[in-house]
Amino acid sequence: MKKFLTDAEKFSLVRREAIFTGLALVGLIIFWLIAGFGTSSLDVKIFHLPLWAFLGSIGVWIFAILISFILSKKLFKNIDLGGEKNE
Amino acid sequence: MSEQGSLSALLPLIFFMAVMVGISIFVRHKQAGKNFVGSYFIGNRELGGFVLAMTTVATYSSVSSFVGGPGMAYQVGFGWIYMAVVQVTAIFLVLGIFGKRVALLARKFNAVTVVDIIRERFKSDFLAAISAFVIVLFFCGTMTAQFVGGAKLFSAVTGYSYETGLILFGLVVVIYTSIGGFRAVALTDTCCALIMMAGIVLLLKYVLDAGGGYENIMLTIEKNNPEMLEPFSFGNMPWTIYFTQWLLVGICTIALPQSVVRGISYKDTHGLHDAMLIGTVVVGFMNIGINFTGILAHGVLPGSPADYGGVDNIIPTTIVTVMPKELVGLAIIGPLAASISTISGLLIVASSAIVKDVYLHYKEKNSQPVETSKLRILSMMTTAVIGGTVFIIALTPPSLIWLINMFAFGGLETAFFWTLLLGLFWKGANKFGAQLSMVGGTIIYCATQAAGFKILNLHQITIGITCSLILFLIGSYFGKKSDEETLNKFFG
Repeated sequence: MKKFLTDAEKFSLVRREAIFTGLALVGLIIFWLIAGFGTSSLDVKIFHLPLWAFLGSIGVWIFAILISFILSKKLFKNIDLGGEKNE
Repeated sequence: MSEQGSLSALLPLIFFMAVMVGISIFVRHKQAGKNFVGSYFIGNRELGGFVLAMTTVATYSSVSSFVGGPGMAYQVGFGWIYMAVVQVTAIFLVLGIFGKRVALLARKFNAVTVVDIIRERFKSDFLAAISAFVIVLFFCGTMTAQFVGGAKLFSAVTGYSYETGLILFGLVVVIYTSIGGFRAVALTDTCCALIMMAGIVLLLKYVLDAGGGYENIMLTIEKNNPEMLEPFSFGNMPWTIYFTQWLLVGICTIALPQSVVRGISYKDTHGLHDAMLIGTVVVGFMNIGINFTGILAHGVLPGSPADYGGVDNIIPTTIVTVMPKELVGLAIIGPLAASISTISGLLIVASSAIVKDVYLHYKEKNSQPVETSKLRILSMMTTAVIGGTVFIIALTPPSLIWLINMFAFGGLETAFFWTLLLGLFWKGANKFGAQLSMVGGTIIYCATQAAGFKILNLHQITIGITCSLILFLIGSYFGKKSDEETLNKFFG
């Protein structure tokens, strides 16, 4: 766990992580658009589903899981949240 | 009220609700001796990653996700899933953007509610009071929709009356939430989320079996309903619905107080990170699973939604049609779990808005200490009274209840989205901007809803969220800047 001396450092890190999350959202929206609308004219089927329906549902879900994994396990840092528990 | 149901349809639900009450009593016992406000309203900040994920998903996923949604998927087709899947953003967005921010601030100010943080950030009792009012008002609308939706489903599937369902699950959820507080809500939510997933798998299995298998059902859809395989569903799914849903059930959900408050409740950042991943897996599974099941119901219900009494009756009719009688009682628990987990999550936040944000703040401001025993009784009574009031409203359900549900969702987002996002991440945000945004935005949203006014046929959330942003920026430009002490506390 990374130790931060000041609140400012913690807040800066939290702000950066929020921006990462926002960028991840933009990435997901772009993927969603391409996976669904972008492939809807293709006459391709996977498991009896049109390609757009497969990529626009299962594909988006898997992409979101991948994004969550990268955010939470690679980009986000563990920090001490401070404070006392309400014992 | 006529009672024609069989006991086998009732027993699993009775058992499930008894377990929920048991968990609540156990939690109450375990929390004895700890700081009451902290443990009752926020579970003493002890949630681990799995429970945090499950309670966030369960509170977010309502009965309409399990009944109305898949009914629409049955009617519209895969375009509905494509639209509903935007909800996979809901968990990683709220926890990724607000999770650590509110956790740090809550520990710094010893805050237990979202309103505590808003009050501290903008130094405004007026804004805090408005926030509490908006929360209670819109939550009551959402909870009523959950009660009504759940009880109607119960009645349609089991054969027992609407009132019996309301008492069996509605009254019990009020009781166990009142007894156990937030920690009980989180644990029972976890049970509910697991049951929801099991219910989806169970129903999907029986739908596939009854419809002659996946391949057979898909070929039938391809032949009889080709519009279901097209993203705009031959005009049934206009782009405006996709756009609106991205706002209403995707991006703007990050500001729902019932979701943000979960950022105060977890133990450490390991748990938060785990919850982002687990929550995204679960919310996607639920959304795709139940809506896919709705589409595959074409294999067993070959008519149109009107033949079965409308889209809201598709899932109840499917359950009754495909499930063995002895399993119907089990199948109903999944959708009802979605209903009760949303009710409990909202109920405890609404209660904290009244007890913590209004009453306790008033007492502290006037240096009037409140004894723990009195606070305990008052908190439980408040939770029970709010729940009881909504229960009574649900006994004579208002019409257009689903519209009330979506109206409340949009109202909360309009009120809190910019106040929380800009308030917590922008130094330039100030009291006047937040007040103007919350009050003005919410009034404009409600007025456009009441008048039925739309722009480009988009849901009024687009007007509400745009106006609240403009008002926030205008107010922040003309209003007095936040004082240095506050800015130092919030931004270091």
